[in-house]
Amino acid sequence: MKTYLHIYMNALAVVLLLMTSCVAHPDVPSTSKDSSDLPAIFPDYCDVTIPYNIAPLNFMLPEGEYDACVARFTTPDGVQQTYGSGVKVMIPETEWRAMMGESKDKSIRVEVWGKKSGEWYAFRPFEIHVASDPIDEYVSYRLIDPTYVAWSRMEIAQRNVTNFEESKIFNNEITSNDRKIGQCINCHSYQNYKTDNMLFHVRLSNASTIIVNDGEISRVNLKRDYTISSGVYPSWHPTEKIIAFSTDLTRQAFHTSNPNKIEVYDLESDMIMYDIETDSVYIVSNDPELLEIYPTWSHDGKYLYYCKSVPLPEEMRDQDIRTTYQKVQYNLYRRSFESATRSFGEEELVYDAASKDKSVTLPRVSPDGKYIMFAQGQYGCFHIRHSDGDIVCLPIGDKLPLDATEEGEASPFIDLSKFNSEGFADSYPSWSSNGRWIMCSSRRGDGIFSRLFYSYFKDGKVEKAFMLPQEDPELNTFRLRCYNRPEFMVEPVTISVAEFSKVFPK
Amino acid sequence: MIQKGKVSSTLLNGSLMAFILFVAYILHFNQEVFYTAYDRSEFLYGSSFFHILFSRPFSLIEYIGSWLTQLFYYPALGSVVLLVIWTFIFFAGINAFKLHGTAKALMMLPVSCLLSSVVDLGYWIYISPVRGYWFSQSIAYLIIMLLLWIARNTPRKCHLLWYVFAFCSYPILGWFAILFVLCLIFIGKPSWRENIGVVLILFAARIWHILLYSNLKFVDVSLGGFPCFETSLDSSTRLTIPFVILGVVTVVLAFCGRYLTKIIVPLACSVACILFTWLFMFNDKTYIDEMRMVRYAEQDNWKEVVEVASKNKRHTASMIMLKNIALMNEGGLLERSFSMGSVAYPIYNPDSVHVDFLEIASPIVCYNYGMFNESIRLNFENAMQSGFSPFHLKSLARCSYACGEDNLLNRYVSHIRHLLFHEDWQPYPISDNLKELVQCYPEELIGVENSDKYIVNNVSMWYESDSKLASEQALYYSMIRCDSGRFWASLRKYVKLHQDASFPKHAQEAYILYMDKSPEEKRMMLPVEESVYVRYQQFWKVLEKRVKSGVKLGDVKEQMHEEWGDTYWYYIIFGTMKY
Repeated sequence: MKTYLHIYMNALAVVLLLMTSCVAHPDVPSTSKDSSDLPAIFPDYCDVTIPYNIAPLNFMLPEGEYDACVARFTTPDGVQQTYGSGVKVMIPETEWRAMMGESKDKSIRVEVWGKKSGEWYAFRPFEIHVASDPIDEYVSYRLIDPTYVAWSRMEIAQRNVTNFEESKIFNNEITSNDRKIGQCINCHSYQNYKTDNMLFHVRLSNASTIIVNDGEISRVNLKRDYTISSGVYPSWHPTEKIIAFSTDLTRQAFHTSNPNKIEVYDLESDMIMYDIETDSVYIVSNDPELLEIYPTWSHDGKYLYYCKSVPLPEEMRDQDIRTTYQKVQYNLYRRSFESATRSFGEEELVYDAASKDKSVTLPRVSPDGKYIMFAQGQYGCFHIRHSDGDIVCLPIGDKLPLDATEEGEASPFIDLSKFNSEGFADSYPSWSSNGRWIMCSSRRGDGIFSRLFYSYFKDGKVEKAFMLPQEDPELNTFRLRCYNRPEFMVEPVTISVAEFSKVFPK
Repeated sequence: MIQKGKVSSTLLNGSLMAFILFVAYILHFNQEVFYTAYDRSEFLYGSSFFHILFSRPFSLIEYIGSWLTQLFYYPALGSVVLLVIWTFIFFAGINAFKLHGTAKALMMLPVSCLLSSVVDLGYWIYISPVRGYWFSQSIAYLIIMLLLWIARNTPRKCHLLWYVFAFCSYPILGWFAILFVLCLIFIGKPSWRENIGVVLILFAARIWHILLYSNLKFVDVSLGGFPCFETSLDSSTRLTIPFVILGVVTVVLAFCGRYLTKIIVPLACSVACILFTWLFMFNDKTYIDEMRMVRYAEQDNWKEVVEVASKNKRHTASMIMLKNIALMNEGGLLERSFSMGSVAYPIYNPDSVHVDFLEIASPIVCYNYGMFNESIRLNFENAMQSGFSPFHLKSLARCSYACGEDNLLNRYVSHIRHLLFHEDWQPYPISDNLKELVQCYPEELIGVENSDKYIVNNVSMWYESDSKLASEQALYYSMIRCDSGRFWASLRKYVKLHQDASFPKHAQEAYILYMDKSPEEKRMMLPVEESVYVRYQQFWKVLEKRVKSGVKLGDVKEQMHEEWGDTYWYYIIFGTMKY
């Protein structure tokens, strides 16, 4: 029934649009002062590479600084169109589609003029490169307040990135019956980017995992007496009806003056595997001394990659984790998997981050199996809270660890400098289903409110990242919520919030 | 007959005048409350906030109400707008219910309910989850009065359309759409055809839940817009009473209002309204003074904070912390603090709501002690409950400014500048005191620390700092903690850093006490004034004399307050704020 709400809202939007007499195609200023700088547009779309099917890249000049903005788009066939309303440039979807159609594997030239104190400035033109590789139509993310202990509204939302339609997959209000305990929803996951097999967790009241199996919804409790918690960070096997999870005793503490502000850490952490068809939970690894976390399957399901902590120095092992947290570092490992027998092979070290005084989290293997991407910071397992958190990518070769090089060999690391931010947390990396687009959640805007960023990835070359476009670019400023754990999807979740809520106790 | 007409007219006008004067007085009395209503109510610019609000029935009115709440930035302006709305309600109601003569006075009753509803919140004002509360109910009530007025002037055969209209307007008017229909029913007996409309409205919430609000629980859709005071820890049915009465009164007015034309009606109505509002109003001087201190503290107006604190004798924990910061900035913490009162009294809290220092003043206090991360956290924790109000946005902006987080500051400033009357807003400069204190705060990982106890404990450990200001704070808070160990360490550092200054009065009092009562501690020898020492001896004599078996300590506390309430010794014996 959420579609009714959309129809209602869209109808309202159409009426408002008609009332405001549609789109402005302003004239280019007749006189202006030339500026050698690129325009300070927000979001920054200067010289980015975008998929041809992305929604219009609407942008704006800083509101307090400029009074007006005009942008002229020139497509490769020489057709020009201008846009600008106040300080915003908002392009109608139909006109944008036409531009994209003309510009596949070519570039659009953008000239921007900004009016300041009654005078127009013409900035250095830039280009938007249009790739003919499409991006997955949908992305889902958790929209959350930048919470510490308390929270209220929380939802898993999905966004059609080819337009601006955003809808709820689930929210924590419809089934939250115990106000004292509250309800938290998190960690949505899909099998092979499709939504007929998916899951998300519910914590505290109604604690369970909601699993959609071939479109059938069920509510499962993954906690067993031999596991330390129910399932936490999930990964669907690409072909089998099994899901790998970590099980964690997670805590958070607060920095008194460190700009990172919050520290999230695990006291205990193991890995399990859940067989949906038999409702069985298997232990994958449960080293009592070490922490295993963030399982992820390889593209063909033959390997399970995961992160595992390295032992603390002897003298620190009995100390409170609040004093040792900076020494907790995770390496990347993998184990082969035999789906017929549900058995795992020996552990292999894939990337030795600790030897570089780093810590690895959230690995993701590319759909073609050629690359692995992960978030890396100096310590810990929650880099979205670490300003040094960056995304790292390595080609997967035959030789392990992947970063091992012979004398004279070039560094195997893929250059992600155009994807990562400087001094802000970048985390939750993922690949689009065609492997051409990479995505992360980043706090690069201001250190707190995370947003989604994409980069074009082809043959190990990465282009400049661009922010998920919004219909009104101001939404990026005025939405006081974070985009958490983004996931690509090739199709939308069609199960409504109300249908999901039916598996919960009344 | 003429005589009777004159009497009724005089009674009507007199009663109305008395009620208007009463309303004006109540609004004037609550000016500080209204400012706090503005300060703690969320209204955010942009489509995101609009869409969040738009996901529920009554949301458009709530959005308008949230916008109008900004007018309370100037409480008098907001009050005038409320008065205008209520005046329109009064006249629209008279026409809607076709009230004549003395029956017109009956319209005081709904106005009184609406008035009561904005002055009865008490400490709920800090945690209320109801958006746009201050104006939304009055606006919606005015709309249904106008609709009723129009409906009564349309041909009877059109009434079915009004029922359908009421059904359609449920997403906008919420429970007022149902009230509107009830009024229509009682004004004229519905025909069989109109009964279809009645049935439709009975199922309005269910139908709209299916059509538009399936993402919500049905209970959150039924009676949409009816204020529900419920948080994770608290709930109140008392605060919904004015709305229940409003509904009942409205239906009664529709049913028989026009027949209530007895001469006594105006007098009875005005007395009932005045009594009802007076009984429901949250009337506590400390509550108002506390709000005033928070407002001045937000503006760094420490002189006024001291002024308000000095005039109030029943300080809450929030008031004491704000007073301490004010004295830190104005000077005289160790000379005046106990004289002004450092014994914390619990808030007047008949609803037993879980509101204390955390919700009232913690972000400001942490900010002013240089605990920026903690202030940011507390702002967010509070904002999860009551939204990103101007109080929280400004406080977050100040923290970002102090932390040098420019992009984050710009985001908050963008929000604030889109609020009414804030187009040029910018954070206050970071004071030298703040720059000094922030250096004293060591980096560590802490748990959930929401209380004043954490601040007191932390500041009392600043005795290792070489800051003069920090050493004064450490000494004071070691005294507040009644911690002789930290007192001697702090005193040594204080004396070292304040060699050219006189020995503050309250520090002398503590010094004598700890010399006397904690002989095992590592003491230091300092000269004290003879008068302080003599007074100390007298204090113990009086105390020993008054404390006898069978006498309650509370009684002794009251008896000794007048003469000894300004001393540290009184605090250490009777203070409830022990850490």
